Amino acid sequence: MKLNYKIIILIAIVAGMVQSCKKYLDVTPDNVATIDYAFRNRNEAENYLFTCYSTLQNMVPSNNDAAFTTSGEIYFPNTLTEATLGNREAEQGFHLIRGVQNTDNPSLNYWDGEQLGQPIFKAIRRCNIFLENISKPKDLPQFERNRWIAEVKFLKAYYHFYLLRMYGPIALIRDNLAIDAGTEEVRVKREPVDACFQYITSLLDEATPDLPRTIQDPAQSLGRITQLISLTLKAEILTTQASPLFNGNRDYASFKDKDGVNLFPAAFQAEKWSKAMLACQEAVKACEQSNMSLYHFVSPGNLPTIPAPLKTVMDIRQSITENWEKNSEVIWALNSSFNLQSMAMPRLTAAMVQNMGGAPGNFAVPIGMAELFYSKNGVPINEDPGYDYRGRYAVATVAADHKYYMKSGYQTIKMHVDREPRFYADLSFDGSCFFGNGQTDPENMLFVQARGATSIAGPKDNIRVNVSGYWPSKLVNYQSVFGTEVTQAGFKLPLMRLAGLYLLYAETLNEVNGPSAEAYSYIDKVRARAGLKGVQESWSLYSSNPGKAASKDGLRAIIQQERRIELCFEGRIGWDLRRWKIIQDVLSKPLQGWNIQDATPEGYYRQRNLVIPSFGLKDYLWPIKYNDLIVNPNLVQNPYW
Amino acid sequence: MNQNFTILVRRRPYSGNLWILFAILGIGILQLINPAMAQQGNTFKITGTVKDSLGLGIPGVSLQVKGQSNMGSVTDGDGKFTLNAIANATVVVSSVGFKTKTFIASLDKTRVDLILSSDDNNLSDVVVTAFGKKERREAMVGSVTSITPSKLKIPSSNLTNAMAGQIAGVVAYQRSGQPGLDNSSFFIRGVTTFGYKQDPLILVDNVELTANDLARLQVDDIASFSILKDASATALYGARGANGVILVTTKEGVEGNAKVNVRFENSISQSTQNLDIADPITFMKMYNEAITTRNPLGVPRFTQNDIFNREQTLNNAPGSNKYVYPAVNWIDELFKESTNNQRLNGSVSGGGKVARYYIGTSYNRDNGILKVSPVNNFNNNVKLENYQLRSNVNINVTKTTEIVLRLSGTFDEYNGPITDDGSFSADLYKKALHTSPVLFPAFYPADPSTGIDTHILFGNSSTEGTGNTVGYSNPYADMMKGYKSFSRSRMSAQLELNQDLGFLTKGLSFKGMFNTNRYSYFDLTRQYSPFFYNVASYDRISNQYSLNWINNQPGQASEYLSFEPGFKDVNTFVYMQGVIDYSRQLGNKHNISSTIIATRQQRLYANATDPQTNLPSLQYSLPYRNVGLSGRLGYSYDSRYFAEFNFGYNGSERFAEKNRFGFFPTIGGSWVVSNEAFWNANVKKVMNKLKVRASYGLVGNDAIGAQRFFYLSNVNLNGGNPAFFGQNNGVTRPGVSITNYANDAVTWETSRQTNIGLEMSFFNSLNIIAEVYKQHRYNILMERASIPTSMGLESAVSANLGTADSRGIDFSADYSKTFRGGFWMSGRMNFTFSQNKYGQYEQPAYREPWRILSGQKIGVRWGYIAERLFVDDQEAAASPAQLFGSGASAPKGGDIKYTDLNNDGKITEADQVFLGLPSTPEIVYGAGLSMGFKKIDLSMFFQGVGRTSFFINPSDVSPFLQNRQVLQVFADSHWTEENQDLYAKYPRLGTTAPEISNNLQTSSWWMRDGAFIRLKSVEIGYTFPDKLAKKAFLSNCRIYFNALNPFTWSRFKDWDPELASNGFSYPIQKVYNIGINVNL
Repeated sequence: MKLNYKIIILIAIVAGMVQSCKKYLDVTPDNVATIDYAFRNRNEAENYLFTCYSTLQNMVPSNNDAAFTTSGEIYFPNTLTEATLGNREAEQGFHLIRGVQNTDNPSLNYWDGEQLGQPIFKAIRRCNIFLENISKPKDLPQFERNRWIAEVKFLKAYYHFYLLRMYGPIALIRDNLAIDAGTEEVRVKREPVDACFQYITSLLDEATPDLPRTIQDPAQSLGRITQLISLTLKAEILTTQASPLFNGNRDYASFKDKDGVNLFPAAFQAEKWSKAMLACQEAVKACEQSNMSLYHFVSPGNLPTIPAPLKTVMDIRQSITENWEKNSEVIWALNSSFNLQSMAMPRLTAAMVQNMGGAPGNFAVPIGMAELFYSKNGVPINEDPGYDYRGRYAVATVAADHKYYMKSGYQTIKMHVDREPRFYADLSFDGSCFFGNGQTDPENMLFVQARGATSIAGPKDNIRVNVSGYWPSKLVNYQSVFGTEVTQAGFKLPLMRLAGLYLLYAETLNEVNGPSAEAYSYIDKVRARAGLKGVQESWSLYSSNPGKAASKDGLRAIIQQERRIELCFEGRIGWDLRRWKIIQDVLSKPLQGWNIQDATPEGYYRQRNLVIPSFGLKDYLWPIKYNDLIVNPNLVQNPYW
Repeated sequence: MNQNFTILVRRRPYSGNLWILFAILGIGILQLINPAMAQQGNTFKITGTVKDSLGLGIPGVSLQVKGQSNMGSVTDGDGKFTLNAIANATVVVSSVGFKTKTFIASLDKTRVDLILSSDDNNLSDVVVTAFGKKERREAMVGSVTSITPSKLKIPSSNLTNAMAGQIAGVVAYQRSGQPGLDNSSFFIRGVTTFGYKQDPLILVDNVELTANDLARLQVDDIASFSILKDASATALYGARGANGVILVTTKEGVEGNAKVNVRFENSISQSTQNLDIADPITFMKMYNEAITTRNPLGVPRFTQNDIFNREQTLNNAPGSNKYVYPAVNWIDELFKESTNNQRLNGSVSGGGKVARYYIGTSYNRDNGILKVSPVNNFNNNVKLENYQLRSNVNINVTKTTEIVLRLSGTFDEYNGPITDDGSFSADLYKKALHTSPVLFPAFYPADPSTGIDTHILFGNSSTEGTGNTVGYSNPYADMMKGYKSFSRSRMSAQLELNQDLGFLTKGLSFKGMFNTNRYSYFDLTRQYSPFFYNVASYDRISNQYSLNWINNQPGQASEYLSFEPGFKDVNTFVYMQGVIDYSRQLGNKHNISSTIIATRQQRLYANATDPQTNLPSLQYSLPYRNVGLSGRLGYSYDSRYFAEFNFGYNGSERFAEKNRFGFFPTIGGSWVVSNEAFWNANVKKVMNKLKVRASYGLVGNDAIGAQRFFYLSNVNLNGGNPAFFGQNNGVTRPGVSITNYANDAVTWETSRQTNIGLEMSFFNSLNIIAEVYKQHRYNILMERASIPTSMGLESAVSANLGTADSRGIDFSADYSKTFRGGFWMSGRMNFTFSQNKYGQYEQPAYREPWRILSGQKIGVRWGYIAERLFVDDQEAAASPAQLFGSGASAPKGGDIKYTDLNNDGKITEADQVFLGLPSTPEIVYGAGLSMGFKKIDLSMFFQGVGRTSFFINPSDVSPFLQNRQVLQVFADSHWTEENQDLYAKYPRLGTTAPEISNNLQTSSWWMRDGAFIRLKSVEIGYTFPDKLAKKAFLSNCRIYFNALNPFTWSRFKDWDPELASNGFSYPIQKVYNIGINVNL
């Protein structure tokens, strides 16, 4: 019995130990951070608001942007001995025009956030978390709460629109699904494009009233969403909806989801253009009421007097690279600076040769793109009887009247002579002058020497080389200095600027009413800043097709070329070429460059094929990754993929 | 040279005070010794016990008074004996399996307790099982392999490298030979899960430690080394034992005079195999070929003149200049043939009635094989120094109470070159192979034209056509520019209380234990930025050249050292354990034994960082805790039938309250057939032992993922997704990110194990143990594959969905026999086969059956099936499209042709299949033979692995990519337009990754057989005759010569096959060692 007693005590001790053990394992205190803490007060909620913005701020048009890389405006070689963008993966967007897109692991995959794509669905989920919880902070004033809600609704709309532009019909994430939602529930479907457009514009309509018209405290808040941005985005969205890709596109007429629902509208609807025109009109009006205007260069005090031709060049260049708060034209830019100036910069000096990695200058503009720019008379070079179009590749010497564009007396070709100012402002090429890079004496500008390996800008290796002979120097701030040391003056690449909105408005006006004085006037504003005469005047005076501007089709072509010139290299044209449904034509010809290894003008100015682009019908829309279709059997793949 | 940046690298004793403390402690205990004195007398009676080194009585030991054939006795079942003896006569004590011992009978010492040490050549009859419990092998029900520690003695200071092939049931392999980073990977019964933790639980004196701690243990300090393999053996560890347990105990003092053991070894270490690289001339010719074969219009990189001048340099022709026309063998520049390592260890043990002590110390120095140039006054060769101290003291406080105090410290000091990836793995082999052999020399001699003699004039080349851009990596400069070191220490203090509670009831005892250990680690880097020069001009006639400083911009080169602090890690560990034991014989034949164990442990990390974000994290700073209650109930009948029930009831803080505790029961039984009455003497003559055993049960694994608390979400409210606004982007917030979502359903991984074992012994000399097992692992945590991206989740959601199945065989046999005339020999072999497969594995519903992982072996790679090389460009163009990556070029003739399995006209991921065998070998085996004649002994041990594949990483070996050099094997065999060998070792050459991206895919082309067999060790020793030793006041003295890894046989010849894919890592070392072992 005595023994039993002891055993009972032992068992009791053991049982007591087990009890205390349970407490021993409770190591987590109550205040471990969970998502609830993100909305405890205004400061935490503001932090979350910024998080909703963060994906957006990573979407500056650049090597990760489909429009920037696949529009045929910039060619990036696939034969560099070393990767200059950090790694080979960073180049992949530029290689898509070779026809290498695939469904296994698509490049620029914004659906999954892979292969340089941003994870947009994550961003949308964050927006929804914000909208679900923003009622919680007690110290958040109502007006501020409303503004924040409006901003996040805008972001949610923009994220959806970004996917819509790439993929066509998408899954709309109106509300977040619970983390433990059932398998069937999470298998969302793609919705018809018009439903997508409808949902996105309705979000913008909800957001606009509570947004500030413009930013009142730019030092603090520049970059936050405003009414002007929201209205302009709505104009762009509705124009996209009205454009041929989405409006009565026969190629997609039979595109259905698994339940047989048509995902694209079968027939063209003209009233979509009217809606788009009204939205453009509202946006233009709002911008003008807010004193926005096309930018003109105001020379800072430390610069010498700028002669008129150079002033026009600087008007054009600085409309992109001028600081946003000083730029009356920029409606919206992202706060992250454009990060590839060094790719657009030609080598100008011996110091840059010493530090070739500082400015590799790999962005090569194809010859075809250079030919797109107008003659000095403001009409296409193949329409200008006064322009020796056939003899354009003949060697010529730069005359003194071009000295602010090109090095006087330098050997060049006729094609580089007598072009519109935007040609000289946006491109650098063999013999072209460059205002900036530390040398701001207009009479003594640095100029490009690019013929053969021994020239400064020529191909010294197979790494830091520009294979076409044209640099998109529009994307370089004149205040950046590349040398043995590199000092980049950053700039925010505009996502929306007034010139673009004017041309958009003109486009919708033409589509709705045909050529009209109002339509001309908005094109002419843009042309005037570029130093060109108006559309009617230019065509009637200088074009071999003087009636072009008077017909709806003719004016459409004029607007499209104007837009392609004005907005070149800004990451916009790729989307336009797609929605106009003409990118297949544009990319049907080989992209060409000059014979860069040759040192003589005669040898240098021979065309070489860089690549024959491959752009098929299927490439209008991005493929959805094969794996996604398996994980979610309710998704359908885009046509022809 | 270098007077401008003199620095002192002087090693400070890590903890001088500690050494003194240990020494005092040791001396104090020596005072307790009370040597017995011998006296003369007549016939009298001696009683006593004979026990083994683990304290268990040995039955059947014979005691014989020398010269008195009538005076002898045999111990009973508990090891007790009574013996009539004459004073001052010598008594010989002997038993099979134990070393024979003698003592002098003495009148005033009628009680004699003896301990026999086991004979190394036999499997020990006593096995250390869970929680250090010692059991007779006969009574074992579970699967436990124990190995005589001395078998693990190899000339290396890393214990883990001795395990492969030595222990049935252990799969081990070594993937690097670099001192300090040369741990073998080891798994018990293979990789039995695809979950997070796959390696076994390691316990040293019952305390959970890491593989690094195990690696540094000194074999001479180890008393027992056991591997617990099946559910019955590991069940007491409950939620931690599913991957098996390695159990090590350290030596304790034995009553008697102080015994001193000193061992010194000096070894010469060299690479088992060096990479064979093509000579510079071949390099240049192949480079030109690589350009022109891809682009017929391409300009060859090297002109005929370039090649000729390098030939002149190589021939040392008159007028040649090796600085202007360099032809460098980088491997020779960086590495020497061999290096010297030293190991010294010693121990003192002994004790008296009251206290016993064991003090072990050791010092190991492992040097790398880098060449150290005298131009630097710091030494950046790889060097690992390890110091250790260990003191185990047992004190009998009362007759029934024993206190054991264990103090130990292990200290590592590492010094090595700087690596690019921030790790410590010396990537100099990789660097030596990734630079041009013909563009620049390693360095220029001090150049009178520049007058510079304060720094080394490293060679480099600017990129073609440019002036001042450093274009290449100079591995010599990388090696010389500085060094990186780490310091690691662990101090452990452990107190044990063993109380015999026999006064309460017979057979009851209590053991308590407390351990705490403190770990600290830091690393740092000191380096200068090298100065690079190239030849500016060269006058052939006067043979004079002048140099041009390439990186001459401010901040690019410096003569002084910069300092960079590195990673710091401090953690603490506290462990408590209480054991109540009750065992009793009831009646004649019934035996019961029972144990109840309670444990708790806690670990705390000072640098609590979230492994996903690498940011400090509150959750990771909270203590890691485990509690457990486990028990065992054993019953045996007449030493014939044994049954055992074990359970573990464990809790881990990582799970939600409802899932926090797990119960893991096992049952097992065994039948000793040879103890049956029908097993008569005749049978016993042939087969003296036969035992069958079986066990079945559950064990768990709570280390199932990196996430800290599965039931809590982990939100970083201060980092992750920032945004910024304002003119200068001045207003910014760090943003919020979610690293984990809460999931309170997550629970353990559980393993259901069945084990059947057979133990046999023939002719008293051949012992065989064979086991087969099956395991089913379930509740493996894995990421859900069924959640579409459109959910927008920021982190993956996991669930206990996966299962895995394993089966295998462990087999070991040993044989030992002593022949007349003093010749003895013993042999042993063991064999481990384990096969592990994915069971349930959630994957998207692929259309192609060959993509389904379920049913595939764990650790198998997937890739394309390479058929052969394309015959010509036409065939390549006409075949299914093979385009990999956006910038890729289409394949040409001589590129690898893949099979289009799903016939969709293009080679995509869907055409990948599972290739070959797993990277972890399915078979590991070893066999050894030892023999001796009188004072000379010889032993050798072979080890091998089978059924394993590895893949050469084509991105690592392809010539010219990233300036890579050419392996000789590819120089000898590659596809060329002249020699269109469709099965050449290397496909058509190319110089850029996009050009040859087709050939860089994982495919069967690059798959190799990883099987090998090697002579792992061979040893010859000589023990000095007693007389000679006595003269030198030594009780024993042995010198030996041994070699590690002297020969390897494998189908794969390009580098040591054990390195597998890691062909460019620091090679496995071949060691020739001479050692002396002295006992006082």
